[in-house]
Amino acid sequence: MSEIKKHDTPMVDELKKGPWPSFVDDIYTYAEKHKKQACFDIMGLLELSYIHKETHWKHGGIVGVFGYGGGVIGRYCDQQEKFPAIWAFHTLRVHQTGAKWYHTSALRKLCDMWDHRGSGIVNFHGSTGDIILLGTVTEQLEPIFFDLTHQLNWDLGGSGSNMRTPACCMGYSLCEWCLYDVQEMDYELSMAFQDELHRPAFPYKFKLKFSGCPLDCVAAVARADLSFIGIWRDNIRIDQEAVRAYVNGELPPNSGAFSDRDWGPFDIKKEVIDFCPTQCMYWDEKEQKLYINDQECNKCMHCIAVMPEALKPGTDTGVCILIGSKSVILEGAQLSTVLVPFIKTEPPYDEIKELVYKIWDHWMEVGKMRERVGELIQRIGLNRYLIDVLGIEPIPQHILMPRVDPYIFWREEEVPGGWTRDIVEFRKRHPA
Amino acid sequence: MGLEKLKELDPIYQKPYDPTLAEKLYNPERPMENRITDIGPPYFWQFMPPIVQKNFGKWKSHVIIQPGVIKRVSETGDTIYVVRCGTPRLETTDYIREICEIADKYCDGYVRWTTRNNVEFVVDSEEKLRGLLEDLKNRKHPNGSYKFPIGGTGAGVSNIVHTQGWIHCHTPAIDASGIVKALMDELFEYFGSHKLPAKTKLALACCLNMCGAVHCSDIAIVGIHRKPPFVEDERLEHVCEIPLAIASCPLGAIRPATVEIDGKKKKTVRVNVERCMFCGNCYTMCPAMPLADGEGDCITIVVGGKVSNRITPPAFSRVVLSGIPNEPPRWPTTVKWVKHILEVYSKYAKKYERIGTWIKRIGWERFFELADIPFTEKTIDDYRLAYVSYRTTTQFKFTKHVKTKLEEYYIKK
Amino acid sequence: MTKEELKDKVYKAIEEKIKKGGKSKLNIKDIQRELPDINPRELKNLCNELVREGRLEYFSSGSTVMYGIPGMGIGVETAFKREEEE
Ligand code: HEM
Ligand code: HEM
Ligand code: SF4
Ligand code: SF4
Ligand code: SF4
Ligand code: SF4
Repeated sequence: MSEIKKHDTPMVDELKKGPWPSFVDDIYTYAEKHKKQACFDIMGLLELSYIHKETHWKHGGIVGVFGYGGGVIGRYCDQQEKFPAIWAFHTLRVHQTGAKWYHTSALRKLCDMWDHRGSGIVNFHGSTGDIILLGTVTEQLEPIFFDLTHQLNWDLGGSGSNMRTPACCMGYSLCEWCLYDVQEMDYELSMAFQDELHRPAFPYKFKLKFSGCPLDCVAAVARADLSFIGIWRDNIRIDQEAVRAYVNGELPPNSGAFSDRDWGPFDIKKEVIDFCPTQCMYWDEKEQKLYINDQECNKCMHCIAVMPEALKPGTDTGVCILIGSKSVILEGAQLSTVLVPFIKTEPPYDEIKELVYKIWDHWMEVGKMRERVGELIQRIGLNRYLIDVLGIEPIPQHILMPRVDPYIFWREEEVPGGWTRDIVEFRKRHPA
Repeated sequence: MGLEKLKELDPIYQKPYDPTLAEKLYNPERPMENRITDIGPPYFWQFMPPIVQKNFGKWKSHVIIQPGVIKRVSETGDTIYVVRCGTPRLETTDYIREICEIADKYCDGYVRWTTRNNVEFVVDSEEKLRGLLEDLKNRKHPNGSYKFPIGGTGAGVSNIVHTQGWIHCHTPAIDASGIVKALMDELFEYFGSHKLPAKTKLALACCLNMCGAVHCSDIAIVGIHRKPPFVEDERLEHVCEIPLAIASCPLGAIRPATVEIDGKKKKTVRVNVERCMFCGNCYTMCPAMPLADGEGDCITIVVGGKVSNRITPPAFSRVVLSGIPNEPPRWPTTVKWVKHILEVYSKYAKKYERIGTWIKRIGWERFFELADIPFTEKTIDDYRLAYVSYRTTTQFKFTKHVKTKLEEYYIKK
Repeated sequence: MTKEELKDKVYKAIEEKIKKGGKSKLNIKDIQRELPDINPRELKNLCNELVREGRLEYFSSGSTVMYGIPGMGIGVETAFKREEEE
């Protein structure tokens, strides 16, 4: 092996200080131990960026391994002479598991592979969800993919104008509030749409995210073209005894989430009843009993989160499907908007797969280049989208409030008598 | 397509990694030979510890017994302790191996990550919990930083969701991992404690593409370019295809042009700088249109977003500070502002109020006053749908911004 | 038309468009415009199959994926190699 070249990185070294885990210490320790030039070079390059306050990366045309149009991001450094080991430094996105559970035997094998074929630097995880293997050369891309598929039974995630890697919250695996099997739905839909995940199909990217309840821990409502959020429709289950235990200070409110500050004794009126956005709760001081008018509850989860031992979501559970969120580019940020307020669904979720295909077929047909589904809906109007595209009956749950303007685009067939009129008859009534 | 949905650990992971296999299987002449595709990720069930499999969907309640440690109780009577630790997200395989070592020692080899880059270790007894906590506390990097700080639960600051920055991306205005490190060092006490009025989620995106969910975070940092791309007339036609560069601009700000250099005609492009929003898409397609500018690039802070439906609906973050200098290696001005906003919030908000909910109650004018943030025209929206953010009511508060004479409202020359 | 004929038709349309258009990489909407009679989902399947056969190749524009013909226009790495020579 040729001589390892180290670089002076006084600015980057400043990030070794302080209590939060230092990626600089980590990368240097690894570089020394494995004699990895790429790791020394990446620190040297970062130092250069700290001096120039500019990035030194360029984009490349590579998108994937053979036959895949996603999963790889091509990167080239503009400092070939100084940092030859990272001249090409491509990323691979590896499809994370549902709720990001792993066994160490699989992780270690993945690490061994990445030490051998790449920089040894990873992200656990990228912001979409994938495990990110950061930094390898073009010649290694195919062998890495063969290693992943033959030795790890593992596939790449999506990038580009593909379906992106779906992601879900911890779901049934750890959370008592989970209202449908997010991990199973994530897996089922990931598998059903492998082709769309690996090969370009759309005018732009398409994301699916699954949260088990309205607390929405994976931020489905903010960053998925289709957001699936668990919800219930029957009554919140109340254990009055436990409610009294909270009131009497025997249980810590919000599972102890406020333990390090003195907020005074728990006050059910102030902390639960008054915060209820629908004002549908009532605490009877005399009876020492909590009443909830469940018909008015909009399932915000606040009371449940404050008194988890006492209150639980109902048992008639299902999924709310929302559509169209995206970040600011291009038409401004959008949150997902309710498409189907509630359905009960079971694996293999065939009706959901069909709905997804319906959405895609229309978008592929009329979507403009780089137009996300949410922007398309804005362009044509939610009413037209629901009725003409999906054939869904509009209901008040689709909107926050009715339109302001009365400029409704009536269609001819909706107007009595249609638009063809007889001017002769008209003039009989209204001489010119 | 797809492998069997394994309920038990795939035996393939027991076989050691063979570094020579791929070269035997892959034939560049016949790329489809031996190629396996579309198998997806390993089925999650095999990677969940038996106690989680047994209690899947049966969890009854949880208590955070100390910051970072969640006790979960099941209907079946089983109890587990989940220990949550922050990670830097940008890490090496040796760091992952250390996580494996801990998981092997205390958790029978099972481990998971959260959406916010925390790692979670699950143990089934208090005794194991004590050992695990002690062990985690003592694992440090050579210069003293904790490898696995415990926290990220309850009314504190959880780990930062962030993007790549100068470590890997070609369009960042700012670094990501470095700023996150500097910020979390400063906010460390809030990661490992429950003393804020509510959970506070931070995020960072290094350019306006915002790969992280910064547009819905309590406090987020966004890197901003402020100069249109260069156009290297001399090189352009040699290194990129002009129609592709033109098509790459989401705003249609690029048009073809011809210039004469040393008597030779060269094809190139011109950027309509009035329309350019400094997004860098052109640089992606054309290396002769670089955008980065160490002098001009800056940082913007947005606040008040959330995604949870708790109490109030999800909301966008809003720009409160822009033009903050980009200051490697420790970004003191940005760090100072974020901490300051957090502490003002902590001082004034009611229990359960997220930053956005608090501001909604007190009004943005009060927020600017309490946080002592200079109000500038940069915080007034002029992009799409801007009008909905203007004040169309006489309901406002008499903060220091309100004057009594008309002339006092005029900009002082 | 058989599938093979359809694929040839798609390939020819792409080839022609590239030859006359000045840009060597097309996004799916460009291709759709050339072939309005083919259903978009079928069209992308045909394109993707042509990639598997090595007749087309993918090209990344950063946030979307385009189709090109190997050897025509910028190659997936040539933009960088060319710079080296300069
Ligand atoms: C008031 C709002 C929220 C409350 C009360 C809340 C509460 C919780 C609770 C109770 C849990 C699970 C129990 C635990 O592990 O402690 C949790 C987990 C989590 N929350 Fe939230 N949450 C809220 C909002 C959010 C938001 C807005 C995000 C993301 C942007 C988020 C991200 C997470 C993540 C990543 C986890 C870990 C779960 C996983 O890894 O799948 N939470 N949150
Ligand atoms: C128009 C908007 C966007 C564009 C043009 C864009 C472009 C990019 C590019 C070029 C990279 C490569 C960075 C690198 O590894 O060098 C990247 C990474 C990434 N992007 Fe985006 N992005 C956009 C929006 C988003 C959004 C909204 C999300 C997620 C909600 C996202 C998720 C990711 C993820 C997970 C990565 C991998 C690296 C990371 O986690 O930081 N992107 N994006
Ligand atoms: S979204 Fe709901 S179900 Fe999922 S982890 Fe968060 S609180 Fe639990
Ligand atoms: S879930 Fe929300 S809306 Fe429903 S009763 Fe509880 S606090 Fe009120
Ligand atoms: S936010 Fe911008 S600069 Fe940062 S990783 Fe995403 S595309 Fe790159
Ligand atoms: S930076 Fe963005 S907006 Fe400006 S010219 Fe380039 S692509 Fe267009």
